[in-house]
Amino acid sequence: MTGLYDVSHRHDNGATTIAKHPVPKGQPILELRGLQKKYGAVEALKPANITFLSGEIHAIVGENGAGKSTLIKLLTGVIRRTSGEVFWCGDAVQLATPNEAISRGINAVHQEVVLCRHLSVAANMFLGDEINKNGLMRKRAMTDAAQAVLNDLGFNLPAAALLSDLTIGQQQLVATARAAMRGTQFLIFDEPTAYLTRQESAQLFRLIRRLQAEGVTIVYISHRMEEVFELADRVSVLRDGTHIGTRKIAETNDAELISMMINRTIEQIYHKETLPIGATIVETRGLSGPGFSDVSLSVRAGEIVGLYGLIGAGRSEFALGLYGRQPLSAGEVHWQGNKVRIRNERDAMDLGIALAPESRRDQGLCLNLPIGLNINLPVFDRLSRGLTINRGREIENADRQIKDLKIKTPTRRVLASAMSGGNQQKIVIGKWLSHGAKLFIFDEPTVGVDVGTKAEIYRLFARLLEQGAGIILISSYLPEVYELSDRLHVFRQGKLVASHTYRSASHEEVLTQAIGV
Amino acid sequence: MSVETTTETAPVPKKGMNILFGLTLLGLLLFLWLLLGLSTTSFWTSNNISNLLRQGSMTAILAVGQTFVIITAGIDLSVGAVVGFSSVTVAWLLQHGVPLWPAMGITLLVGVAIGAFHAFGIVRMGLPAFIITLATLTSLRGIGLLVTNGSTISISDESFTNFSRADFLGIPSLFWMVIAVAIPAYIFLHLSRWGRYLFAVGSNSEAARLSGVNVNRTIYLAYILSSTCAAFVGLLLASRIGIGNATQAEGWELQAIASSVIGGTSLFGAVGSVHGPLLGAFILATINNGANLLNVNAFVQRIITGVLIIVIVYFDQLRRRGSR
Repeated sequence: MTGLYDVSHRHDNGATTIAKHPVPKGQPILELRGLQKKYGAVEALKPANITFLSGEIHAIVGENGAGKSTLIKLLTGVIRRTSGEVFWCGDAVQLATPNEAISRGINAVHQEVVLCRHLSVAANMFLGDEINKNGLMRKRAMTDAAQAVLNDLGFNLPAAALLSDLTIGQQQLVATARAAMRGTQFLIFDEPTAYLTRQESAQLFRLIRRLQAEGVTIVYISHRMEEVFELADRVSVLRDGTHIGTRKIAETNDAELISMMINRTIEQIYHKETLPIGATIVETRGLSGPGFSDVSLSVRAGEIVGLYGLIGAGRSEFALGLYGRQPLSAGEVHWQGNKVRIRNERDAMDLGIALAPESRRDQGLCLNLPIGLNINLPVFDRLSRGLTINRGREIENADRQIKDLKIKTPTRRVLASAMSGGNQQKIVIGKWLSHGAKLFIFDEPTVGVDVGTKAEIYRLFARLLEQGAGIILISSYLPEVYELSDRLHVFRQGKLVASHTYRSASHEEVLTQAIGV
Repeated sequence: MSVETTTETAPVPKKGMNILFGLTLLGLLLFLWLLLGLSTTSFWTSNNISNLLRQGSMTAILAVGQTFVIITAGIDLSVGAVVGFSSVTVAWLLQHGVPLWPAMGITLLVGVAIGAFHAFGIVRMGLPAFIITLATLTSLRGIGLLVTNGSTISISDESFTNFSRADFLGIPSLFWMVIAVAIPAYIFLHLSRWGRYLFAVGSNSEAARLSGVNVNRTIYLAYILSSTCAAFVGLLLASRIGIGNATQAEGWELQAIASSVIGGTSLFGAVGSVHGPLLGAFILATINNGANLLNVNAFVQRIITGVLIIVIVYFDQLRRRGSR
């Protein structure tokens, strides 16, 4: 059993060692027995027994931090297991390196496309496996072969185009075509639809079904229940590094899977306290800028205003515009009743706006600098007297935030890069607590954060509200914005398309408005 | 998605790791001095020591300025050319009857202007630091040659040329200049908020920007400081050799970068100090001086310097990895 387009036979270098005895459909192709991964004392994956059957679509679901990524990395040879056994087509295998996984026919398509943006589509599809003649690459032949594969898959993509000229969704399709072309028997999709349009998702699903029909075993990792029920034959649930169970899709339902995934009720995580609403802190009127247009909304003291929408719907862009990071093209901002102009980040900070940005890594933290420096960065001017920084106040401020926020570090001198996602998020938040802002903008504050830290962050929201601040909460995770927001605004394609008061619309209604069907 | 834990223990950086590294370099410097003292008779003579200090001083000042730029994850390739150009500037001004102090002031202002131009190219024109400073490296040499018509301008002001030969408390005045630069540099980098901003911009300029740091102003500051240090060294060099010549200080930018890197500065930005490049500069000067005394072929000296850079930076990498 080989993949759709096995081009590897052209080479006699034996790089692809497809199993000699194809596994019949429905028989175990990959078996994990007590597979475990530890990082130091931490068990990222507790001993798991999962069997993948030949030719099935096997979904894996779980929250952020449940261990899905660890599992993929183990299967694709990116990291090595601590203990346990893996059987491939009945034989015990190591899967110690990515090359070993690929040569056995195990491939992965990642959420973030890992291809070379400056090369053509064809060059990417053949990367590391180029067609050569007398030591020279045969560019034309590769372009033609790649185009044939793309056409055959029903993708309307030019093989000669540069990858960087394609949308993220199209790049995802190229990555899939690349894997399909390489004699793949076992293909892992890691949240492939996160950045895709509905049309692109539909194309991808057709391709997945087609690969399945060819005998390829598919592992499909997703947050989205509807996709799991649409595609999968069986589903395995992970929670906090533990394999909770595997179900046939026909014998389970949403409610069962969700309870397996979270093991607690929604009320336990989101305790919303109703506080008296105060005066308006900020009001935008017809605000427009790059990525958003004509957004009018207001935030009052003591309330959380939620912004929900898909990635790229204009929520984060609006936040950056309000914060002065992006120039505004139209509209007005009124701060506590007065019209103001916010030209840059410093203007926003001086008014009393704080922003915990979407990406901790790219926007939030100086990773290779100490925690203390990160926390103090916005307030060094206040910690200084004349030319120099008051060392005592610098230390005191950093230590106070570390203690208040329960950042798990022995000292403020530890580098931010050494901390986990949850603790990093606390550092980003800690930056703004000493600044004394009136309006806090939290953009995706709980992505990659464990449940315990999530609850801490939500409690912190309540504390800020009690102190008379207002919060703008941006999230792609509907239950979060839905349960926490006093008012919920839905964004779609750069516009504010709907507004609801607390729990006045159903999940389905909000989701429909965000997707725009 | 990262692995989430609630029980993690992050590695604790050992207290004073920076100081320890500084002491290692100081130890290396003293070891070299001891070695040379034992193997040659001429090393520990007051003549040779003041010669060594004079040699190292100019590189040391350049290296401190360079370090500010490297901490912001940039690079300043122009410093050698700025030194040569400044020597021409001050000589030309003196030749045209400008009094000494204004002439020196104008020369330093030219340094400020060159640094501002670098930052302008980076911030406004979006050029890589490597390119804009490479461009001024060659252009400044050209302008200097054009002004002097390819020759040198001699400086007749004796109070100016005597300065570099003078001693104060038995220590060469050039070395006092290192101290005069190093103390404010230390206060700036390690004790003031602007120093913190240099590190933040070098680590993640977007995060710094969103935290209210004026990133553009920080970049201007770094390049202006580097060029001004270079212009200052240009004055010292003109005083030492008594001429203005655009082709002087060839390759000093590499000496400055090497001193900085030997002193523990990371070319990826956000890691560096003031004392590191100073020690680095004097280690390089000692090796050159010692090689001269030992009659090592000048060509071989260059090879030794190259090997030394690799060895020291490699050990520094090992240390960093170990402390993570």
